[in-house]
Amino acid sequence: MEITTTDLGLVARVQHLSKSYGSDPNRVHALRDISLGIRAAEFTAIMGPSGSGKSTLMHIMAGLDSATDGRSWLGDDEITDMSDSQLTLLRRRRVGFVFQAFNLVPTLDVRANIRLPFELDGRRPTDAEAAWIAELERTLGLADRLAHRPHELSGGQQQRVAIARALSTRPALLFADEPTGNLDSRTGREVLELLQHASRRYGQSIAMVTHDPIAAAYADRVLFLADGRLVADRERMPAQQISEFMLSMEVPA
Amino acid sequence: MSGRSAFALHDEIGERGDRVGGRRVSRARVEHDRPRGPEVRRPRRAPRASAMHGHGASILVAAIASAFGVGLLQITGLLSAVVAADDVAGESGTVAFMLQLLAFVFIVIAAYVGAVVTSNTFATIVAGRVRSIALLRLLGSTASAQRNTIAREGLAVGVIGSLTGAVAGTAIAVALDRTAVATGFLPDVGFSYARPVLAVPIVGVLLTTWLASWIGCRRVLTVTPLQALSNATELRHEEVTGRRGRNAAAVTLVVIGGVLLAGALLLGLLTPLAVLVGLFGGIISFTGVVLAADAVIPPVLRLMGRLLGSRPAASLAAGNALRYPQRSARSTVGLVIGVTLVTTFGVAVASFEQMTRAAMEAEPELYQGISEVLAMVVGVVSLLIGFSALIAAVGLVNTLSLSVLQRTRELGLLRALGFSARQIRAMILAESAQLVAAALVIGLLLGGVYGWIGAQSMMGSVNGSPGIVMPGVPWIVIAAVVLASAVLTVVASWAPSRRATRVSPIEALAAD
Repeated sequence: MEITTTDLGLVARVQHLSKSYGSDPNRVHALRDISLGIRAAEFTAIMGPSGSGKSTLMHIMAGLDSATDGRSWLGDDEITDMSDSQLTLLRRRRVGFVFQAFNLVPTLDVRANIRLPFELDGRRPTDAEAAWIAELERTLGLADRLAHRPHELSGGQQQRVAIARALSTRPALLFADEPTGNLDSRTGREVLELLQHASRRYGQSIAMVTHDPIAAAYADRVLFLADGRLVADRERMPAQQISEFMLSMEVPA
Repeated sequence: MSGRSAFALHDEIGERGDRVGGRRVSRARVEHDRPRGPEVRRPRRAPRASAMHGHGASILVAAIASAFGVGLLQITGLLSAVVAADDVAGESGTVAFMLQLLAFVFIVIAAYVGAVVTSNTFATIVAGRVRSIALLRLLGSTASAQRNTIAREGLAVGVIGSLTGAVAGTAIAVALDRTAVATGFLPDVGFSYARPVLAVPIVGVLLTTWLASWIGCRRVLTVTPLQALSNATELRHEEVTGRRGRNAAAVTLVVIGGVLLAGALLLGLLTPLAVLVGLFGGIISFTGVVLAADAVIPPVLRLMGRLLGSRPAASLAAGNALRYPQRSARSTVGLVIGVTLVTTFGVAVASFEQMTRAAMEAEPELYQGISEVLAMVVGVVSLLIGFSALIAAVGLVNTLSLSVLQRTRELGLLRALGFSARQIRAMILAESAQLVAAALVIGLLLGGVYGWIGAQSMMGSVNGSPGIVMPGVPWIVIAAVVLASAVLTVVASWAPSRRATRVSPIEALAAD
């Protein structure tokens, strides 16, 4: 029997993953034979310069895009060949997303945006879930903003709503793609602290894609990607070191 | 009105609930939410306002079609009743039948035009909502649930439009009846306006509107969750998915329609009822053309674009037609159907006159006093076809304004790159010019064929008919069509482009 993702203490993993666009001779390789795992209850940052393939990797791990070659698991389920409807259910129930553009539904208020995953699932939050959502709203400082619409909120507040929405279903894995990209540095730090808090306090597994060393410094583990390959896998390190490492990667080998 | 999308979302929850067996729960939830509704879903200018604007026009289209159908049936019914009350010749049955047949033909045309326009409008609305649909897909909503949401909006549009139209149509008939009785033009026969036959146009318009919205929003199925994260607002995947099947279906429809039209032409030498065969042949073949629109129209647009010259605004405009084949096809279809319709009628009448004149020369004694009758027929038919042309015009104006408004971001980018507002408007104007020219070429050709076959199938069998003749060319009608199309198109696209260029480039680029 094959060893499962959970046995490895992982929440998601990919094996020999490749992704290329176009056909020869103009083929562009976004990912080249990547194998890695995201550990459960940890805050992992996936670092790399633009074009390193980090966003593509995240899209495939989240079931938003398909790989050219290789396999991908979320929890113990292999998602490589899942149908669109299976992937849809997976996104709805087991994955959360936070993006650079806050991606809230403009016509729904904060309360409805946070509860959207449940509405899409055609059910009401259970009492335990409702209590969890209330706690999220409180910790994220949204309790007095529930009747507001996204355009009435600041960028930082909008991103907190997106985080509350992503955490509301207690997803197995939260994907964050440059979550501070549109925020000023102070609000950005607050958002990163919130993610760190979610991981430490509630054991939330998080995979964050970023090219910002300061953001990556909040993570427990930093994976470095360059040219579609995994080049380093480090434990928590300060921004200064991450920055130096990134610069050293730029030097032609 | 923008609160509507929130309701749409709730509707969709109901839909999901049905499927997972949680209907009771989710319905209860919807009810539970309502009291809070007013503050939460306060009407406001929200990003989806343009979509609601689109529904307004669709409701109007359905209402005109339904008012036309109901009004026509009421008036023909009334006339039949008057004839029956004064039945000396015992021919009232035949007259009633002929009136109903005529009404039927024009109701089918109006409903069909309404359906094409509505599905076109829904396709435009979907194109404008791609990002929000993609976002909901990203968060785990299924493509079919998203499509059902929009189709349910189509059902609502159909219900509201056809009922409103029925009331309006009956009101017009009653008003005409009262006036005619008051002026002594018609006797008061105590005609009852509540008749079961009225269900035909009401239900017919309702169903075609619903069906049209369902067809128009098929592109929802090709929206991928990743589109929520990219800047692309127009769908291009479709070119890869299902393209072949769709083209095959289009060719099949055109062939079947063509065979029916040829059949009508020959059958027309035997019976005037051949015009019904021709009607369906025309509808089926035109549906084929609409289906293949995004493959057929862009090359014609490019051809027209070459005539515009090579200034940046003009060459960009020519390129846009091909870069966004679906958008340009959607904008053109609305005009093509209007031009085809009016040309069909114009050519039919011209050919009809030609044939009547030929028949008159052959057997003068049989056709005494035909000129007055002819003039009356032309007048009545113009009025009837005018309603369908009105529907097409509403659709055209709406689709064009929507598609310009949806381009705020693209236009903002051009502004940021140094295009002046004037150049942008020149570009939109050039695009519109191409669009009008292409639609005119296609519409005049199609209309010429349809009109000629229509006249031929109706008149080929009458006494003294010369058999098959060359189609008549109604120069005045053609000139009027060209002028009206140009004016409508320019007005419909220029006004929104002024609005779109009035926003600063920064705001435009930030717009979703």
